[in-house]
Amino acid sequence: MQTKIILDENELPRKWYNIQADLVTPLDPPMHPQTQKPVCPADLEPIFPKELIRQEMCQDRYIDIPQEVRDILTLWRPSPLYRAHRLEKMLKTPAKIYYKNEGVSPPGSHKPNTAIAQAYYNMKEGIERIATETGAGQWGSSLAFATQLFDMECKVYMVRGSYDQKPYRKMMMQTWGASCVPSPSPDTNAGRAILNRDPKTPGSLGIAISEAVEDAATHSNTNYSLGSVLNHVCLHQTIIGQEAQKQLDMADEKADVVIASAGGGSNCAGICFPFIKDKLDGKNPDVEIVAVEPSACPSLTKGLYAYDFGDVAGLTPLLKMFTLGHDFIPPSIHAGGLRYHGMSPLISRLHADKLIDSTSVYQNEVFDAAVLFARSEGIIPAPESAHAIRIAIDKAIECKRTGEEKTILFNNSGHGHFDLSSYEAYFAGSLADYEYPAELIKESLQKLPVIA
Amino acid sequence: MISIGFLVNPYAGMGGPVGLKGTDNCVVEALHRGAIPQSPLKAKRFLSGLNKSDFLFYTAGGNMGENELKSADIPFITIYQHKKTEQTHKVITSALDTKKACIEILKRNVDIIIFCGGDGTARDIFSCTGPYMPLLGIPAGVKIYSSVFAITPDIASKVLNEWDGFRVSEGEIIDVDEERYRNGYLDTHTYGIAKIPSSPKNIQSCKMVSSGDDSQMMHEIASFIIEIMQEDTLYLLGAGSTTKAITDKLGLSKTLLGIDAIFQKNLIASDLNEEKILELSDRYPKTKIIISPIGAQGFVLGRGNQQISKKVIQKTGIESLIIVATEYKLKNTKTLYIDTGDPVINHSFGKNISVIVGYRMAVRKKLNNY
Repeated sequence: MQTKIILDENELPRKWYNIQADLVTPLDPPMHPQTQKPVCPADLEPIFPKELIRQEMCQDRYIDIPQEVRDILTLWRPSPLYRAHRLEKMLKTPAKIYYKNEGVSPPGSHKPNTAIAQAYYNMKEGIERIATETGAGQWGSSLAFATQLFDMECKVYMVRGSYDQKPYRKMMMQTWGASCVPSPSPDTNAGRAILNRDPKTPGSLGIAISEAVEDAATHSNTNYSLGSVLNHVCLHQTIIGQEAQKQLDMADEKADVVIASAGGGSNCAGICFPFIKDKLDGKNPDVEIVAVEPSACPSLTKGLYAYDFGDVAGLTPLLKMFTLGHDFIPPSIHAGGLRYHGMSPLISRLHADKLIDSTSVYQNEVFDAAVLFARSEGIIPAPESAHAIRIAIDKAIECKRTGEEKTILFNNSGHGHFDLSSYEAYFAGSLADYEYPAELIKESLQKLPVIA
Repeated sequence: MISIGFLVNPYAGMGGPVGLKGTDNCVVEALHRGAIPQSPLKAKRFLSGLNKSDFLFYTAGGNMGENELKSADIPFITIYQHKKTEQTHKVITSALDTKKACIEILKRNVDIIIFCGGDGTARDIFSCTGPYMPLLGIPAGVKIYSSVFAITPDIASKVLNEWDGFRVSEGEIIDVDEERYRNGYLDTHTYGIAKIPSSPKNIQSCKMVSSGDDSQMMHEIASFIIEIMQEDTLYLLGAGSTTKAITDKLGLSKTLLGIDAIFQKNLIASDLNEEKILELSDRYPKTKIIISPIGAQGFVLGRGNQQISKKVIQKTGIESLIIVATEYKLKNTKTLYIDTGDPVINHSFGKNISVIVGYRMAVRKKLNNY
């Protein structure tokens, strides 16, 4: 009875899988916020390296992973695939449950899969410093880890509310040599303006993005980096799914259901895209792909497929995506990484083409699943990852009812060791089950002009 | 230093155990039936939970607060004495004593009045203080419908320990007509909206930007409701400050405790009774009812807003209800209640109900249907 399925280091994928080559419907281009015309590479060059811009628009099916990047990824990759025997037993299900454990990376999540690649390409193009924003701290700590490996500086604007609540995340960034400041900060015009108006503001991701973009735009040695949503970020995460495919082959299994949580979409893209290729190729045509969102912020499940800004302030290009509106500020659920008004344009396109299903779940149900998982498999998952666990458990319970022996795969995208205060709130019974009042909003949207 | 008016209704809660469904006007009968005073113990329990020394207590003599403060070894100033210090049950304090003591306390310019009693006591005190003096009830009565009460004496201590002396929220003063109740009818009435102490520590806020202040949340709720208002729909707005925030934002005046009607963002009728609501819903086929849970137990329907009757719900449909509330209000109510008087209608709402708590934001709450 094998529990861990381990790949050798030399089986780490050598190429990223670019799903843009296989899309049924091509992506609508990102639009310039002022001209409303498609963004061209030159528009992005002030803040992104050329190679990442190329990857963002590339139509090649596979893109080589540089050896320097692979060397670093071997610090924790290939990540193990687990058979969740104890969870299956606890659920008394005939289903076979497998999960990738991305929590084994040094920062504790899937985020460094792209942070390493992004830092590498910036370094190659002579960039000495990267500025970014972070909400819950997963992305900031991953980029801090990545930049120090290439001897680069890193400035992280961390939403002040999180900065105060999660001291250990900022310690991690400091340990890896990054400078982490609470946002809004006195270091940028955007930050100073907000502090002048409201010195006690707890900040927001939108403000932090504005600060990081301004930092990159005003320092010639500095670029900006984003941890989700964009095509190149999704691309870098596809090593998760590619590894999982090899590992399932080793176990002589074929996935019937692939499940991932979805905030900006990069973790979902990472595990799902290679399986969508199998679906399109006819290799595994019936595989069901499920993106799981919080009921408080269900962009795929309840949003509109339309052009919208990627950030709250409206500074970024307009992206065609499922969105709840860039002015929507999601409630502060404990899965902070899933508090994003939009969704990766690639995930959105695949959802519109009915290749990815979506569902949304309430906070307390998510923590019910997280605790069940921790008590059976031992791993305390991040609240974000527990969204996938919830649906994996639901699917396994459904198999118990139908008698089907489905093979269920989900991505356990990170551990929850810095989220224990969320568990405390759950045990105290103080978690609210936030939801997006979609039916009422639909009534108001009927009055709005149709977005082209 | 927080100055506190502290009043105990020594006979609150005695009617329940001896089958009197309340103690208003029945103290002698309750004592005759062998009732034991409940509130002194609860008041003492509250006092034993206080962990700060910078409180200044003003109280009334004997069993109206003085005895409890003495036994808790807390310094106090007595500002009112009822006619005889009670040693036995021969001297009965009355609602009049509560009111007189309350008036004396108000002269001391206290920051808050804390009282131990039930809905009747809350009503007596509110009749003196009006809506501006913060109140906190230690529950000791038979009837606890008002949301000025903490759930337990321990929670009341916690609320006071964490209070900064000025942050407030709002809670309804609700009372039941005891005479009718003893005859099998439950008539509740909302008598006012009082200020209650609030603490950000007690709020699991929907937004990190929240200061724990209800007004910001109400502003958000109002913005959302106004955004979704349709031109062809009649809106009936129930009692309370959350619904009043909607009319305030529209620049309309609303009765705080009544049901008012809005059409095309204009006020078309105020303080409606059931009959007038039914008439209006005949004239306007599309009707939405925007109401807030009432009272300590969180009644969506059935207590405190009886104008939204079974007949009204039958006519407008259950989907016409839009529930609004601030998270502070919801934090102590694990479940909400619906009691239209018709179990079939009650159960048609299902096990959960969605409550709008902010801009484009709702919370799913468990529903207990009668």
